[in-house]
Amino acid sequence: MEDKDKINNHNDSAKVITRRDFFNKIGTTATGVVLLGSLGVTLDFLSPNVLLEIPKEFKIGPLENIQPDSVIDNAEHHVFIFREHPGSFYAVSSICTHLGCNTKWNPAGIEGHPEGVIACPCHGSIFDKKGNVLHGPAPRSLDRFLVRVENDKLVINTDEIVSEDKMIVKV
Amino acid sequence: MKKIEWLMNTKIWRSIFRTKLPISTNLDRSLVIFNSLTLHIHPVKVREKAIRFSYTFYLGMISFFLFVILIVTGILLMLYYQPAIPNAYQNMKDIQYVVSNGTFLRNMHRWSAHLMVFTVFLHMLRVFFKGAYKPPREFNWIIGVILLLLTLLLSYTGYLLPYDQLSYWAVTVGANIVKYVPFIGTKIRFLLLGGNQIGDYTLVRFYVLHCVILPSVMLLLVALHFWRIRKDGGLL
Repeated sequence: MEDKDKINNHNDSAKVITRRDFFNKIGTTATGVVLLGSLGVTLDFLSPNVLLEIPKEFKIGPLENIQPDSVIDNAEHHVFIFREHPGSFYAVSSICTHLGCNTKWNPAGIEGHPEGVIACPCHGSIFDKKGNVLHGPAPRSLDRFLVRVENDKLVINTDEIVSEDKMIVKV
Repeated sequence: MKKIEWLMNTKIWRSIFRTKLPISTNLDRSLVIFNSLTLHIHPVKVREKAIRFSYTFYLGMISFFLFVILIVTGILLMLYYQPAIPNAYQNMKDIQYVVSNGTFLRNMHRWSAHLMVFTVFLHMLRVFFKGAYKPPREFNWIIGVILLLLTLLLSYTGYLLPYDQLSYWAVTVGANIVKYVPFIGTKIRFLLLGGNQIGDYTLVRFYVLHCVILPSVMLLLVALHFWRIRKDGGLL
């Protein structure tokens, strides 16, 4: 009788954890941990660790094979490589910044832009040869990649994006 | 007639069909509708106006039957299709030129898919203009909107499977639209494509989404959608 009263008093102040509460809490917590864990593990599983994609770094050359004032359209890596007259090289992405279509180098230019332009067939974006937007809907200029010269060849890595003033390499 | 009555009183018949045929009494007629899974979409009593063709144009049911056609033709198409590069495109061409009646089957699937997007959309317009989304039906309207989105997602994921130029660029554009989601856009795109560009993993992912995940969710929600029509007081 005394014990019962004690328990009741404690229950009123909500301080005592009964056996049932204890196991309920343990069970709920364990279920929650397992659910969260499995969510994390599943997300991890969905993201592949090995990709059979082409390497980001590639070489172009030797340099004397690249004609001055010419453009190489590297379709495999989606990069335009430009050589300007004295011997300056730069690389511009050929993937449109709007929705990712392949752009084309158009040396004859278009109406209003008589010099060569880069044009996207999907939604009509137009860029100049340095990658700047001349006409929308593209929201920003094409990516420019860092170009290095190694053993008479150009080395380009499509992970190394640089600003317009750093993109040109002079030989 | 006597034989039929005898058959209807056998233990086996009674174990399968819980009610008598709706031929003798009004109670039997009501019970058939009340107890039938396929017929209880309508309440026991329906206003004549609500089952007239010009009232609903049967757009929901047409959408559902198109979905059934899509499941049947889709399962058959799966028997000749491998979601791999370059098999996918060749399989699609084989279905058209080598498999018996393959062109017919593929066109059934294709046209039903186009038509389903159209009828689901018309269904939504019908419900909107009749005001049938108003309480107590607002939750069923939400389910309907999700079903419309699922229909569009099924169309989108199915579009990659032939793996031709149209597929490739449509999915490129779609995946880049996903990239515009703030903060997690690039990650979602990576998970959706299973990589940074469209490849073997993308094809398998879209195949599983198209053939397993999205149809299952669709089927569950369609069942809920139909059940709610009945519970919310029938067609309006």
